[in-house]
Amino acid sequence: MNEHKGHKYIFQIVSGSILSWNAVLEGEANKVGYSLPAARKTGTTICGVVFKDGVILGADTRATEGMIVADKNCSKIHYISPNIYCCGAGTAADTEMTTQIISSNLELHALSTGRVPRVATANRMLKQMLFRYQGYIGAALVLGGVDCNGPHLYSIYPHGSTDKLPYVTMGSGSLAAMAVFEDRYKPDMEEEDAKRLVRDAIAAGIFNDLGSGSNIDLCVITKGKLDYIRPHDEANKKGVRTGDYKYKRGTTSVLTKSVTALNLEVVEETVLTMDTS
Amino acid sequence: MDTFCTVYCYAVSRSSPDICSLTRIYYDAGCDDLSFSASNGVVLATEKKQKSILYDEQSVHKVEPITKHIGMVYSGMGPDYRVLVRRARKLAQQYFLVYQEPIPTGQLVQRVASVMQEYTQSGGVRPFGVSLLIAGWDEDQPYLFQSDPSGAYFAWKATAMGKNYVNGKTFLEKRYNNDLELEDAIHTAILTLKESFEGQMTEENIEVGICNEAGFKRLTPAEVKDYLAAIA
Repeated sequence: MNEHKGHKYIFQIVSGSILSWNAVLEGEANKVGYSLPAARKTGTTICGVVFKDGVILGADTRATEGMIVADKNCSKIHYISPNIYCCGAGTAADTEMTTQIISSNLELHALSTGRVPRVATANRMLKQMLFRYQGYIGAALVLGGVDCNGPHLYSIYPHGSTDKLPYVTMGSGSLAAMAVFEDRYKPDMEEEDAKRLVRDAIAAGIFNDLGSGSNIDLCVITKGKLDYIRPHDEANKKGVRTGDYKYKRGTTSVLTKSVTALNLEVVEETVLTMDTS
Repeated sequence: MDTFCTVYCYAVSRSSPDICSLTRIYYDAGCDDLSFSASNGVVLATEKKQKSILYDEQSVHKVEPITKHIGMVYSGMGPDYRVLVRRARKLAQQYFLVYQEPIPTGQLVQRVASVMQEYTQSGGVRPFGVSLLIAGWDEDQPYLFQSDPSGAYFAWKATAMGKNYVNGKTFLEKRYNNDLELEDAIHTAILTLKESFEGQMTEENIEVGICNEAGFKRLTPAEVKDYLAAIA
């Protein structure tokens, strides 16, 4: 999830059809003197779904630095307010600081109005900040919460556009997760079904996308309660080594043994004291 | 209690700013309020006398939360208080953004008092016409501070401010001891208020705030009514 500024990664999908489509497009573009923009991997799978009583946010826990896993268990679901949480994909520092700044401002706003903060307010604040920075803040967010008007879910893009939808996914694993949602999403699901759906969507991202991995974190937000389940599913537990490279004594049988004593004379002896003062 | 401060008054003209005179600013005595630090929490209580029965009492509050774990109340000019509440809230958030930790009560008081002091030494402004009582809970301990218009701040176990602060303090001195529980503290605070209260004390014309390990909370009129019933 941590991207070195300026590094770009070419998106390589091994499925033939998309590669060939891309190749044709690239060829056509090159003819007219243009090159296709290199896609930027955001190394995450995050998603959210609105169910009967509220919203559920899900995220994987892998933080990448290029092709290396920097953190095997990082937390991508950020606190905005007691009733609003936000998943973040993209540059880790950007998602962390942006959500903290908006959380702080939202708390001031809530104290000033004397009311529980609304998800739409958080959405406004986030999009207006991201637009101001013209996409230089690499934060792709899934914002969800429950307020006086019910449950709400937004996806927010680095340039500042937002979508209000019943189910959203973001990050490099978003296609895998969205495939699961498009297959099995139904409006007004029960909490357990919705949890299972989100878990499966994130799992699809974890197992099929290299940029996502490790565990699945969930956050269930309803009118009365909040469940921050970290981890909900340890899908990639480190295994225990079954073999051992050490050989026990006696593996190689001893045939003969001869001991030669080295009789050495002390020729010179010098003592250097260490200055311990 | 009349609070006064000396201030330089600037008469600024384009050509020559004139430091004209040393002025004494008198602020009108505020309403009574008092606070009490118990072993497991702090109580803030104040009277909220409205000038007419037509006032909507619930639209304006004297006891205000600053963060989840800190609250404050004032004696003096309401508008000045509003400004300080906003400042205090902002200071608390700024601290949190830097240190990722809820601001300790003492730190907040220091910063707020700093602001108040600034206004006694800057040009073109007048000192804040409020004395603040700031109550907070951090690291399993209750805290109570007072902040004056001069910028001086003090920590208290129990104190009273306002018109009848002398009587209030005497009453508290008699009744204070270190092992008081929060419930008893609330009871004592209301009794102390009643001492100097003119007229009937109802849940509409007093405000009570409590601060314990669960955080700061302004009591609803219904809750205040229960406590009032106990002393009736």
